[in-house]
Amino acid sequence: MNCEVAHERIVAAAYGELADEQSHELERHMDGCPDCRKEREQLLALKVLADAYPVQEPEANLVARSRLRLEEALDALPPLRWFERLGQLVKNNFASLTAAPVAACLLLAVGVGAGSVGGAWVARIRSVQAAAQAARVQAQPNAVSAAAVGAPAEIANISSIIRQPNSHTVEVDYNQMVPRRIEGSLDDPAIRQLLMMASQNSASAGVRDDSVSLMAAECKAGHSCRGAGIRDALMVALRYDRNKGVREKALEGLKPYVAEDVRVRDAVLEALMNDADPQIRTAAINILEPVEADTSVRQVLHSVSNTDVNPYIRTVSRQVLNSVPEIQ
Amino acid sequence: MNGGKSAEERMQARAPEMELIREAQAGSRAAFDTLVRQYEQQVLRLALHLTGSEHDAEDIYQEAFLKAYRYLGNFRFECSFYTWIYRIVTNLCLDQMRRRKTRREDHAVVVNHSGEEMDLLASVSDDRSFSNPAKELDRKVLGERIQLALEKLTPRERMVFELKHYQGLRLRTIGEMLSTTEETAKNTLFRATKKLRAQLAGVR
Repeated sequence: MNCEVAHERIVAAAYGELADEQSHELERHMDGCPDCRKEREQLLALKVLADAYPVQEPEANLVARSRLRLEEALDALPPLRWFERLGQLVKNNFASLTAAPVAACLLLAVGVGAGSVGGAWVARIRSVQAAAQAARVQAQPNAVSAAAVGAPAEIANISSIIRQPNSHTVEVDYNQMVPRRIEGSLDDPAIRQLLMMASQNSASAGVRDDSVSLMAAECKAGHSCRGAGIRDALMVALRYDRNKGVREKALEGLKPYVAEDVRVRDAVLEALMNDADPQIRTAAINILEPVEADTSVRQVLHSVSNTDVNPYIRTVSRQVLNSVPEIQ
Repeated sequence: MNGGKSAEERMQARAPEMELIREAQAGSRAAFDTLVRQYEQQVLRLALHLTGSEHDAEDIYQEAFLKAYRYLGNFRFECSFYTWIYRIVTNLCLDQMRRRKTRREDHAVVVNHSGEEMDLLASVSDDRSFSNPAKELDRKVLGERIQLALEKLTPRERMVFELKHYQGLRLRTIGEMLSTTEETAKNTLFRATKKLRAQLAGVR
């Protein structure tokens, strides 16, 4: 690093805007460069000097006067009439509105075309299919193996999930046009996909709960829950599921990743701040313990220890904060 | 000086604020007034420090919030409301500084906080109070000297230095507010500190 670059970095560093790696380089450069050390001294002196012209809070009088003047001016403005509001709305959405008619026409044309071509085609092959179907139906109506599950688009919803006792096998009931059942190992991608769908789309809290707890168990056991979407599904469940039990299980499943994955940490921090349920907030505090020295974690703990409505949570977060000396 | 709002504060603050903005966009004066109250202190603090004049700060307050009221419909949640309102204020301040700079070329007269005019060059030409270490520095005079040095900067340099040094904002936010990049803001800050050091070389 030459001195010119160093000088720029000295300024950035003095204002806390230098990346750690670059600060390290800068320190090394300055160890052997008295000129740059002097440069830094002078900059720090400037910072001290500049504070001789301090920022002052505006006086209450000034605030009141300004506010009054503004209110008078706002009162004097004629209220927007409905057509002016409409005009504003049109202007704001101008881009989307200009595109809309074109898109609508295209859609219509595509729809009409596909409808007429498709209709004729379907009529032609329906007779052939009906015969084949009749033959197939007699064999075995419902149970299929995991490999036979079609694309997720064919699946309407998921009605139950059962793990067979003492085994690695899970049964997922899901509906296509006809309800079906699939059986397979927890590692099976098709089963996993169904579990993830169940965690987000199922109308029944029980099913969501089952799927989330299975995924959480997978994560806790360290069974390839890396990147494969299960972790994301758990984060979504933690953030958005209406059912407390489901969120609790999702939180449990995310526990092993709080230290290594920042996104997981953020999700847990959000739960700590925003979750409506005190038990979940408490659980979040415990889970954050391995990373409690992290600045963002400390900030959230600090705010929770002051503002949470639940006194127990305030106490616990304070204890956690006190147990680790502040690093800085 | 804190480094702007923390992530956690932002998260907490945003939800109710978005609601307020939507209401104000739908025409609620009460919602707009609440927004004004949330930001007026910061707006005045910035304008007051930048212009050094209560009168100018009051004008900037007035213009900024009238503008915000008029164009609130254009706010589409692409940046934070805080950045949006600061963008309006910094633009008004920059205009004001540019106007004043051309006025100031002839004579170095400023209006101080209480509204009376004073000649800054006259007050700083007496260097003894700065160079004599035995004499306790009069903080007020020193403050005026700093103010004068700040006014030697270009309006943009002045603005970046103000937002970084005095208001403690992140360079990235500053770049966003001034419709430029973080890198440019960083370079501008560097130039500003360099010029200020040259201006204040004799002062210790």
